[in-house]
Amino acid sequence: MKRFISSHRSRAALVHPGDSSHLGLVVRIMAALVRISSVCCRGVSPLLFRSCSLIRPLAVQKKDRDCPYLISAKIHATPSSYAGSGSKAASLHWTGERILSIVLLGLAPVAYFYPVPAVDYSLAAALTLHGHWGLGQVVTDYVHGDFKIKMANAGLFLLSTVTFAGLCYFNYHDVGICKAVALLWSK
Amino acid sequence: MLLMTVARQGLCLSRSQFGVLYRHAVPMGTTANEEMNKFWAKNTQLNRPVSPHVSIYKWSIPMMMSISHRGTGVALSSGISAFALAALVLPESYPYYLDLIHSMTFGPQFLAFSKFALAFPVAYHTFNGIRHLAWDLGKGFKIPEVYRSGYIVTAVTVLTSIGLAAM
Repeated sequence: MKRFISSHRSRAALVHPGDSSHLGLVVRIMAALVRISSVCCRGVSPLLFRSCSLIRPLAVQKKDRDCPYLISAKIHATPSSYAGSGSKAASLHWTGERILSIVLLGLAPVAYFYPVPAVDYSLAAALTLHGHWGLGQVVTDYVHGDFKIKMANAGLFLLSTVTFAGLCYFNYHDVGICKAVALLWSK
Repeated sequence: MLLMTVARQGLCLSRSQFGVLYRHAVPMGTTANEEMNKFWAKNTQLNRPVSPHVSIYKWSIPMMMSISHRGTGVALSSGISAFALAALVLPESYPYYLDLIHSMTFGPQFLAFSKFALAFPVAYHTFNGIRHLAWDLGKGFKIPEVYRSGYIVTAVTVLTSIGLAAM
């Protein structure tokens, strides 16, 4: 059975779409194969195409005569040469988000064992930026429309700036983040 | 093998979503972002209602955990921002306000509960965050794995929160 299928698979691979004379035959073989394989294969694919295969082969032959030339499919392809100089920005942003998450994860035990000012300021920066990028994703998901997006991002930027300023102020003039958590938990 | 079947049939059908057709593909010339914006601009301009989605789709554990991850993230971020704002605005120092709160508390259970209430979102967001990072590495996408990792995250979160509240 397997050899039967694979031989037909290789046969189908050699047939070019333009050969309409072969195509109808191949499609009919394939339709039969789908029906056979849907009995023995698991998964969604047999279900998806079973109904198609029963109807399509006939429709196919007619269409072949109507449009003997190649049918183009519109796919979403943006080669990197296409876009401008900022084309890698989104991808780099994504990577930066993950790296920052890992840094923040590592900062937690460090903050517990070494509650020094350097860690206080690093925590302030990492927490603020992680929150800023996270809320940025929320804005991207739920806010639509050019003006609204601009306003939301401006507001977010303001919030994050104030947050970072406040945390640094707290670190400088008050007990600092690590000590604050320790004090909160001491009672 | 079934993909090949589909590809051969798909060539005769007008639209096929399978990437086997690269030879005859025409790139669309717009980014996903631009298309998304065009979609929203067109549909809001036409005043079209949004089809029901979260209100009708059956809620699953992964769905609930995903929105909880976002919810805890937003809540924690808001809390940090509120704390930073308070630090800038309030006149007195942190130990002063802490003592003030402690003088107002209603017993040790209240303190333990509020510690739990603070620790829980941090723990949940952290452990689910690790789960997310595992996905970003490409691991654990099979449905049983998704559920299993979800249960583990929830269990560890509860245990950690209880442990932290007891400290």
